[in-house]
Amino acid sequence: MHTQISSNLIQNYCAQINGLDEILEKDGRIKPYWQQLFNNIEVMGLTELGNRGTDILAKLKENGVTYNVYDSSEGNNRPWKLDPIPFLIEQKEWDEISKGLIQRAQLIDAIYKDIYGPRHLIKEGILPSQVIFGNEGFLPACFDVKIPSDNQLIICAIDFARGPDNRMWVMDRRTQSPSGMGYVIENRSVISKYVPELTRGLALRRLAPFLNKFQGAISGLSPDKNGHPNIVYLTPGPQTETFYEHAFIASNFGYPLVMGDDLMVRNGMVWLKSISGLEKVDVIIRRVDDEYCDPLELREDSHLGVSGLLQAMRLGNVVVLNPPGSNVLENHALLPFMKGACQFFFKQDLLLPNIATWWCGQEKELKYVLANLDKLIVKKASGKEHHRSIFTRILSEKQLGELRLKILANPEQYVAQEESSLRTAPSLVNGRIEPRLAVSRAFLVSDGRDYHVMNGGLTRSSADSNLFVISNQLGGMSKDTWIVSDKAFESNERVVINNNKIDFKQAALPSKSAENLFWAGRYCERILVTTKAINLIINTLQDNITLGGTPKSQHLEILLKALSHVTLFYPGFLTEKMRTQPYKGILNIIRDPKMMSSVTTTLKSFLRCVTAVNDKWNHDTRTYINAIESNFSQFDDLDEFDPNRIHKMMTKLQSRLFSFYGIFAESFPRDEGYYLFESGKLVERILAQISLIRAVFNTKYTAHVEKELIEAILINHNLLVYYRQLYKSFVNLETTLDVVLIDEKLPYSLGYMLGKLAEYLSHLPNNTYPERISLVGKAILEAQTKIRLADIDSLTNYDEDDHRLFNLDALLASIYTLVSGVTDLLSNQYFSHAVLQHSLKRYSDENELDADDI
Amino acid sequence: MIYKLIHKTKYAYSTRVNKYNGLACLQPLNNHWQKCYAFDITIQPDPLEIKSRVDFFGNTLHYFNIDTPHKQLIVEAKSKVESSLRDISVLNLNITCAEAKSHIKKNLLLKNELGLYFMKSHFIDWDAEIIDFAQPSFVPDLPLYQCVQNLCYRIFTEFEFNSKYTEVNTPLKVVLRDKKGVCQDFSHLAITCIRSMGFAARYVSGYLETRPAAGKKKLQGSDASHAWISVYIPEAGWCEFDPTNNIIPQERHIVTAYGRDYGDVVPLKGIIFSAGHHKLKVEVDVIPVLEGL
Repeated sequence: MHTQISSNLIQNYCAQINGLDEILEKDGRIKPYWQQLFNNIEVMGLTELGNRGTDILAKLKENGVTYNVYDSSEGNNRPWKLDPIPFLIEQKEWDEISKGLIQRAQLIDAIYKDIYGPRHLIKEGILPSQVIFGNEGFLPACFDVKIPSDNQLIICAIDFARGPDNRMWVMDRRTQSPSGMGYVIENRSVISKYVPELTRGLALRRLAPFLNKFQGAISGLSPDKNGHPNIVYLTPGPQTETFYEHAFIASNFGYPLVMGDDLMVRNGMVWLKSISGLEKVDVIIRRVDDEYCDPLELREDSHLGVSGLLQAMRLGNVVVLNPPGSNVLENHALLPFMKGACQFFFKQDLLLPNIATWWCGQEKELKYVLANLDKLIVKKASGKEHHRSIFTRILSEKQLGELRLKILANPEQYVAQEESSLRTAPSLVNGRIEPRLAVSRAFLVSDGRDYHVMNGGLTRSSADSNLFVISNQLGGMSKDTWIVSDKAFESNERVVINNNKIDFKQAALPSKSAENLFWAGRYCERILVTTKAINLIINTLQDNITLGGTPKSQHLEILLKALSHVTLFYPGFLTEKMRTQPYKGILNIIRDPKMMSSVTTTLKSFLRCVTAVNDKWNHDTRTYINAIESNFSQFDDLDEFDPNRIHKMMTKLQSRLFSFYGIFAESFPRDEGYYLFESGKLVERILAQISLIRAVFNTKYTAHVEKELIEAILINHNLLVYYRQLYKSFVNLETTLDVVLIDEKLPYSLGYMLGKLAEYLSHLPNNTYPERISLVGKAILEAQTKIRLADIDSLTNYDEDDHRLFNLDALLASIYTLVSGVTDLLSNQYFSHAVLQHSLKRYSDENELDADDI
Repeated sequence: MIYKLIHKTKYAYSTRVNKYNGLACLQPLNNHWQKCYAFDITIQPDPLEIKSRVDFFGNTLHYFNIDTPHKQLIVEAKSKVESSLRDISVLNLNITCAEAKSHIKKNLLLKNELGLYFMKSHFIDWDAEIIDFAQPSFVPDLPLYQCVQNLCYRIFTEFEFNSKYTEVNTPLKVVLRDKKGVCQDFSHLAITCIRSMGFAARYVSGYLETRPAAGKKKLQGSDASHAWISVYIPEAGWCEFDPTNNIIPQERHIVTAYGRDYGDVVPLKGIIFSAGHHKLKVEVDVIPVLEGL
């Protein structure tokens, strides 16, 4: 299987091992498949591996793979880290481990059914009632909430690590909404792209069969056996730590990504509020924690769930995975009782041992823990809160004393675990291969009766070589788990999406996604409009400002005022003072965090909207979005004495936004989401153009000023070249208004934009009166007609006294009103049911978001 | 005694409510001293559906779902209940606190069976202050029953009944500090004390028939929903106490539901889909029905 190369790398590594390590057999020999991996690294070269590692991190960052951290002061997202060195498990051993994992999953499932059913374990004294009833995860409301299959816990994750006896030990399990599967898929795809050489001589099991199993299992649970099961993926929202993963899985499997208020219960059934009306939901894969699932019967302050959900489940009209109430199984205090439960249910011994755990709610155990307090890991028993583990050997005498008192005050709330000498595995740390403690997570899915294990998984290694702290929040790293053997196992099965949907049916567009797409279009365009106007001003300023630094000409004053109107920067350039220091004002418009329409604020709003519909973006589009996001940090360096840099920066941002428009236009499916995004974009563009024209041409100026203004407007409308081809150097207001307002060939003319807007809006469903034109359609038709009927000559009429261009202004004002009404009309027709629950209370409160620590 | 019960809840909203999901826990239960002959719940506006079910604690709940826009919601529960005297003289109420403790400790099955009612729950949580308050009532050598009575007596005499002072979520610490509250607070306080001493106690939600002053006619809607406690006395079983009135509940106490605390037996709760504020009015009538009339 491998060729022996005299290997410095592996010898160097072996020299660093302190204790037990994955690569070594019991007798100290190096396991052949690890030897093979080291050989592969040797061939590649350690430096090259380091480079690839850096590339991988860059790629993950570019893909936007993140992990939100609540208490981080530096923004919310922390990039996901991946070690290019995988974690290897040999196939034969994996077969044994899999049996143990399946047994464990069946056991946890049996305990779940017993706790919310006959409670034999408690009645027979196998499980102290306090472990269940004293745990906040036990929810009496869920006792009669069942899903229609033998197994209730359809998705299950089990953490394991190799103990000192060379066997794999179960460390922990995740039952209510196991996280990590999306990261596994992402890890595997990046690893196979960036370090394919590492698989040489190692036949590697694929993930696809499991992913197909997963989809099949979930579709199979649908109460609606005839039609197309409507499966949605319920997320707490973009604030949650693993939101990236939620969007990733949803888009990978084609499940609409929804939040609680996208759903409602009516007539005992769950409905998705979509822009084409209500759609019945059959299966909900939830990432919302148990007690937040249903404000009616569980936490009443939850805005993440669906009121009446439990009742709909009881009626058998919807299947929720995993059923609420399963958090009680994440309680660490259950671990010591697994053995007895396994005997009770299956008359079997545990195939995989537990990490030694003592629950302090028992007298003998409490005594043991207190007597050995300086060499244990102490945790809160509750699986609900993700408390940090306390490593007692590093505590001072004083800290130990405090911990002792805490335990004595509420012994039933604590468990202690042995800090056993778990194994290290090779990890790439700062360009060197070093031993780090590692723990692996396995994923299982039930087809209703039997569990299937993913041939792979998520391994995480500790940041510290000594302490067994494995948490992404604390800076650990992830590793891809490889199940390897020396011969290939299966054909190249690929992931098949929607394999049981024979007739393809368009997934409904949830109302909130619709709203977010519309606003994404508006915000994106607003940034473009603003940056473009800023650059126009910078160009004009640089042409005009004398060395003294004040604007000398009237047209500059008009344009500065117009910039204030377009960007809602008030009083801003309407004051004389601000006009004397224009770059200061411009920087305000760019980065004032308190200003609603500043570039920074708008950019944030834009990113919030696109993130909330993350499941809609393909991989490439996401790359462009991430590039836009990276612009933020660069605003800080701008200063008012370097207008060229400001100009350059604005151009850069514009080109990134245009790239996003480009990839969107090239790749986004022409569905309702597309038309809403494009409508939002046009609404914003039209409103900004009107504001600009009204601000610039409200008065008849002298020919010289008018010429300067016309040129500026033509540049802003990308029309100068065209205009010159048509009219050469002849400049007057009539011809300008013709190209800016009327000429429907020109993409930046009002006539063209209104026509497009009318077209896009006509693609949206008209639910109430399909045969009639919608209210919003009427508004745009009216605006379009006004422009078409406008008489250019009369538009340039002006008042003899105050020189106001009253006809032009009246026309533009009426169109402005019609177009600005579009948002409300769309909102009433398509988005409004999305905000019902919102209006009670905004869920900005972080405490309300559930923890979803991996 | 046979009673006719009317429990009418009226919500008036400042803005239109489009949708309401509700859960009512209003149906009196059946046990060996109480029979609920008839129960009817009417809701206005008409709900799309009403579904009843028995919950984890054995209480009957009604789930309903309204999606007619409305500015006023009325939920009216009417029932007819026969309540009889509870003869506690046949029970052995002499087991002392110390005996009761060792009884529970030895009897693992019993402890597991009652597990839920020994523990902290949403409204029930104790610390040293609560224990200090409870301790004087629980003398190891005195009968547990008597000790609980003593606790109720102390709450009745030391605390002021004040319906303006507390609300649903007022912490027990405040009740204990200011010595004011309503039946719900006093019941929670008593339950907390009893559980902190290592005994099982549960919350009882129901009604108490009030008697008008001599010569006065009883006013309509003058009764109220009430709360008291139920304590597990080994060898005797669950026994009820009313700390608010310092009496042993009898036929005038009609039981609707049992739970760990108020959170398990809220008479009416719902999720509204609206932005406005609301006003709540509850009317309760407990009307004795004279037999033969």
